[in-house]
Amino acid sequence: MRLLTIAIKSAWNRKISLSLAIFSIAMSILLLLGVDNIRKQAKNTFINTISQTDLIVGARSSPVNLLLYSIFHIGNATNNVSYKTYQHIKAQKNVKWAVPVSLGDSHRGFRVMGTNSDYFRYYRYANAQSLQFQQGSPFMMLYDAVIGYDVAQALRYKLGDEIILSHGLAALKQAQHDDKPFRIVGILNKTNTPVDRTVLVSLEGIEAIHIDWQSGTRSPIKISADKAAKMGLEPKSITAFMLGLENKMTIFRLQREINQYHNEPLSAIIPGSTLAYLWQTVGQFEQVLMVVSALVLMTGLMGLLTTLLTTLNERRREMAVLRAVGAHAYHVIVLFMLESMFVVVTGCLLGTGLLYAILKILQSFIANNYGIHLMLNPPDTQQLLIFLIAVLLSILLSLIPGFIAYKRSLQDGLMVKI
Amino acid sequence: MNKPVIHLSNIRFRYSTQAKDILNIENLQVYEGKHLFIQGSSGSGKTTLLNIITGINQASSGDVKILGKSLQKMSVIQRDQFRVDELGVIFQQFNLLPYLSLLENVQLPCWFSKQRKHLAGNTSQMAKRLLNELDIPENLFNKAVNTLSTGQQQRVAMARALIGQPKIIIADEPTSALDSNNRKRFLDLLFLEADKQGSTVVFVSHDSYMAQYFPHKIELSEINRINSDLAAV
Repeated sequence: MRLLTIAIKSAWNRKISLSLAIFSIAMSILLLLGVDNIRKQAKNTFINTISQTDLIVGARSSPVNLLLYSIFHIGNATNNVSYKTYQHIKAQKNVKWAVPVSLGDSHRGFRVMGTNSDYFRYYRYANAQSLQFQQGSPFMMLYDAVIGYDVAQALRYKLGDEIILSHGLAALKQAQHDDKPFRIVGILNKTNTPVDRTVLVSLEGIEAIHIDWQSGTRSPIKISADKAAKMGLEPKSITAFMLGLENKMTIFRLQREINQYHNEPLSAIIPGSTLAYLWQTVGQFEQVLMVVSALVLMTGLMGLLTTLLTTLNERRREMAVLRAVGAHAYHVIVLFMLESMFVVVTGCLLGTGLLYAILKILQSFIANNYGIHLMLNPPDTQQLLIFLIAVLLSILLSLIPGFIAYKRSLQDGLMVKI
Repeated sequence: MNKPVIHLSNIRFRYSTQAKDILNIENLQVYEGKHLFIQGSSGSGKTTLLNIITGINQASSGDVKILGKSLQKMSVIQRDQFRVDELGVIFQQFNLLPYLSLLENVQLPCWFSKQRKHLAGNTSQMAKRLLNELDIPENLFNKAVNTLSTGQQQRVAMARALIGQPKIIIADEPTSALDSNNRKRFLDLLFLEADKQGSTVVFVSHDSYMAQYFPHKIELSEINRINSDLAAV
C-alpha cells in the first residue's frame, strides 16, 4: 500500500530527530549484542581450549591460577616443578601420557613454550581435535621451533626462518638469546586457542639457551650453540605438566595423591571442573552486564517514545490532510507503528553493523591481550530473539502516540484549528 | 436534472462532552451543479456541518444522504472510503503534506481511492494537466511544497480536490488566506474546473463578500434552529 511510502517520506521529513532515536537504539543494540557476543565467545574459547587432558599438575597454587598460566598463558607460575617429580609421576602405572610445559621466555610478544614431541600427539582442544600442521613437522633438532598460526600471520614467518628468543616476557635488548637462534620447522593450523599465539620448542632447547645464564642475566662464561648441544641438557625443572590416564575412574585418587605429594608441594587440577568454576565466577558479572545492557535498550526505546510523542502536535495537520484524502483513522495508528518499527529495525541493523566493524578492528587486540578469539558469527537464535523483542516493544510503545493521534484525528475531523 | 447531491433532513448533532445540541437542521438540499455558498460566523457550527457532510462525524439523529446514499447506514470504514471516492476537500490553509512533491500531493486521493484513480486515468499526467490549467509553473512540479506562495498552494489543493472527478467539492474557507485579486481568480478557476467535470462546490465561509459570486447562498444561522432557540432564551 502507499501508506508505507507516506510513512517513509514523512519519517524522512523528520530525519534529524528520528536519526537520533535510531542512533540511540543502535548504540543499545551494539552494547547488548556486544556483551552477549563477548561472553559467549569468551566461554567458548575457554571451554574449547583444552580437552581430553585428565589432570594438570603444577607448583602449589590456586586451581584457577594454575589453569590460567599453564593453559591460557595468562600470568606467571609461582614456582616450578622439579623434573624428577615429573618423571616420577609419569612413571606411575596408571599414567598413559605426561606432557611437560616450560614457560617463561618470549619471542616478540609471543610466549615461548618448551615441551616435547608428545605434545603434538596428546594435546587436544575443542571436540578432541589434535594439532594439525599447516606446513612442516614437529621439532626434531635442538634448535627447531614450531609456531602457531597467529605467530606466522603476525610476523610473516615461513619455514626455515631463524628467530631469536628473548629472556622473560619483555623484549629487552640485553636479554636476547641471540647467540642461539632457532629455525622454524613447522607452522600449525589455526585452533582458536592460545596455541595459535605460541612458539613451541623442545625442553632441551629451553635448557640450551639458558645454559650460560644465571638468575636472569647472562653469565660471563659464554657457551656457544654447538657446544651447548653436546652438553647434558636434561632440564632441572618445568613449569607444569599435563596428564592423561589409562582409567578415568582413578583421576580423583591420583589428584589426591599428587596434592599430598611429599617431596614438593604440588597442585593437580581437573581442567573441566576448574574451567566450570572459573566460568561461574565470571558468569555472575556477565549476567549483571546483560541486565545493564537490557536496561540501556529500554532507555533507547523510551527515547524513541519521547521522540514520537513530541512530534504529535506538529503532525496533527498531517493526519487531518490524510483523513481528508481518504485515510482511515486506524491508518494513523499504522503510520506510527511503521515509523517506530522502521526506527528500531534500522537501529538494530546499524547496531549490528557497528558491532561487527568494531569486533573486526579489535579482534587481534583482544586475542593478543585477553586470549579470547572473537569470531564474526551471524546473530544466533538468542540474538535474533533480542531483535524480535525490540521490534515488538517498539510496536507496543508506538500504540501510545498512535492512539493519542487516533483519538485526536477523530475529534479534529478535517478541520484542525492551529 | 435537479436531484440533490446532498440532502440533510432533521439533523441533530451534539458532542458527547456537551449538554446541548450544536446543530439542528430541518432540511438542507444541495443540487447537482448548483454551487452553494454557506455563510456562518465562527462558532455557528460550520465545521461541525462539514464534518457531518464528509462523514467524519455522525449525526446524533436524522438522515444524511450524499448522492442518494445514507451515511447513517455505512460503517466507519465505508464512510472513509465514500469520502475519498466522492468528495474533494480544500482547507483554509496548510493543505499539503510538506514531505511530498506537488505532483504527489495532487495524486494523494488516487492512492486511497480506486474509483478516483480509475477516473483520473494516468494520475501523474492528470495531475500535471490540472496544475497546468491552474497556472502552476511546471518547474515547481517536483519541488517541495514550502517553496510555493499561499495562492499557489491553494491552487495545488484545488487540483487535489478535483483529481478523479469527485461529485462534490467541499471548500472550507479556502480563500481566507488570499488577497482579493487572488480570491476572485481562485473562485473562477474552481468554478471552471468543477463545471468541466460536473462537480458541485459547497463553499463555507464567514466572509459574506464571496457570496456574490455564487448562484445559491445560505446563512447557516437561518437554517440552524439552535441559534433561534438561543435567541428565544
